[in-house]
Amino acid sequence: MRSGSSVANAKSMERKGRGGWLLPFLLLLPAIGLMLALYAYPFASSIYRSFLSSEGTLTLANYAKVRELYLRDVLFSLEVSLLSTAIAAVLSIALAAYLRLASGSIVRLVGAIYRFPIFIPFVVVAQMMGTFLAPHGLLNIFLAQIGLVNLEAPLQLLNWKGLTFGFVWKQAPFMTLIVLSGFGMVDDTYIEAARSVGARLPQVIVRILVPMSRATIAVALILAFTSTVGTFTLPYMLIGGKIPTTLTVDIAHRVTYFGDYGVANALGTLAYLMVIFTAVYYLRYTVRRGIYEYQER
Amino acid sequence: MGGRRLLAKMAEAVVLVLLCFFIFGPITGLVLWSVALRWYWPHTLPQEVGMDYWLQALGLRKSLAIGAVSITDSFNTSLVIALIVVVAVMIIATPVGYVLAKYSIPFKSAILLLFLMPQAFPQQPVFVNLLLIFSKAGLAGTVTGVLLVHLMVCLVFAVWITSAAFKSVPPELEEASRSIGASGLRTFVRITLPLAAPGLLASAVFVFLTSLDEFTGTFFIGLPFVTTLPMMLYSFSGYNLQFASVIALVLLVPSILFMVIIERFLKAEYIGGIGV
Repeated sequence: MRSGSSVANAKSMERKGRGGWLLPFLLLLPAIGLMLALYAYPFASSIYRSFLSSEGTLTLANYAKVRELYLRDVLFSLEVSLLSTAIAAVLSIALAAYLRLASGSIVRLVGAIYRFPIFIPFVVVAQMMGTFLAPHGLLNIFLAQIGLVNLEAPLQLLNWKGLTFGFVWKQAPFMTLIVLSGFGMVDDTYIEAARSVGARLPQVIVRILVPMSRATIAVALILAFTSTVGTFTLPYMLIGGKIPTTLTVDIAHRVTYFGDYGVANALGTLAYLMVIFTAVYYLRYTVRRGIYEYQER
Repeated sequence: MGGRRLLAKMAEAVVLVLLCFFIFGPITGLVLWSVALRWYWPHTLPQEVGMDYWLQALGLRKSLAIGAVSITDSFNTSLVIALIVVVAVMIIATPVGYVLAKYSIPFKSAILLLFLMPQAFPQQPVFVNLLLIFSKAGLAGTVTGVLLVHLMVCLVFAVWITSAAFKSVPPELEEASRSIGASGLRTFVRITLPLAAPGLLASAVFVFLTSLDEFTGTFFIGLPFVTTLPMMLYSFSGYNLQFASVIALVLLVPSILFMVIIERFLKAEYIGGIGV
């Protein structure tokens, strides 16, 4: 009996040492508990409450109200997000290709300065863009100096144009960083081989670099698109309650002015739906690959 | 051939100039506004410049004439919140990072999913419903509520980065340590931890920056009672351009500092989540 239990003890110790699951689960518990309480529960609650009336009965009235009041804004959010992600994608692929293929002192300089916006928080970006893009802001003044704009009728940019500009300003460098890490993994021999059979620069980009970095580019697109759909700070501070505005601004108005969580959550659920395909792709890709993989630099 | 090369260099120079204008143009606006005492349209540059708003904001001078208050209180609030969040998050996230990197556990995919979801979906609706939950619990508008929301936002990144740091420690070294008789704990303290330290430090710095810059969660949970630096910037952005520009530039400093220091430790994907 005694010896039996000590054998069992030794066995259980060995199991722990080799990756038994009790200790690891205890280590995970606080973080999982916090994420369930502070993320998963409110996330589920946001979907559930979008179907609740103020009396607590199940209803579609919140969505009817969204269709009545905010359809234009929902489309506006989608349009601005798609447009700015597309522009940022083109710019970032071009810039990353340039940084990957060219050499010399100018490249090193460009490589150092393009990252600048990445770490700047949206609240600062919003403040910047507000003063830069204003009717009598620096951009209009500059364009007037070189004769492109008449300051009596300056460019009106505090609308979808400025919003797109702000998003591109913040997202394109971030996407460049990701895309460049993908391009960096394309072996030089492929590029040299293509060049030796007469491929020109655009062909090298479109035929070699981009197809070989498809997965990385997809991640860059997804992260930028999701972030743009969900960003509240920039549209709220840049265009606020103008018509049309983004659904993130509408959510805030619904909550802070009306205390109307039903419609706010219906708008929130629509925001989830906007990114559902990209989110599923991203989650599957990342879980399969492992989030902890260090990128080769 | 020489002509073509010259053309290419000129094209490069044009790209550089455009990029500089694109990136630094908006920032120049901030700098100019932060020192503009008088700047009326249609003047190209401020008519009168001075450091008055800077001195006022940093609490070095008090003047009622320019109608702005000091930022030192909200700066301290931000700093205290960020420091508490760093300590709490690192204590909670480091074991998770270690387990995810070194153990194969059941339901691992589901656990990974839980820590990836916040990056894959918009977070604002979550904050809105946290407001509802926190209001019932008496946490809305309190520093504790803001701490909790920052904790959630930062935990995700901290788990990723610490787990990458632990994954980069070669298992052979740990096995070697175990095989000459060191206990699991001793191996962790003497081998794993020192080797993972740079990554853990990067994670802590990243958490600090994320908390310092956090806007949306604080907006819903903290306002109007908890005024962090980004909230201060928001409340001045509409009507006091100079003061708002000063705060924006103050918030830029840590961002740029940390960009230089920690960027090479970080995978690009983490970085997108800052200051949302």
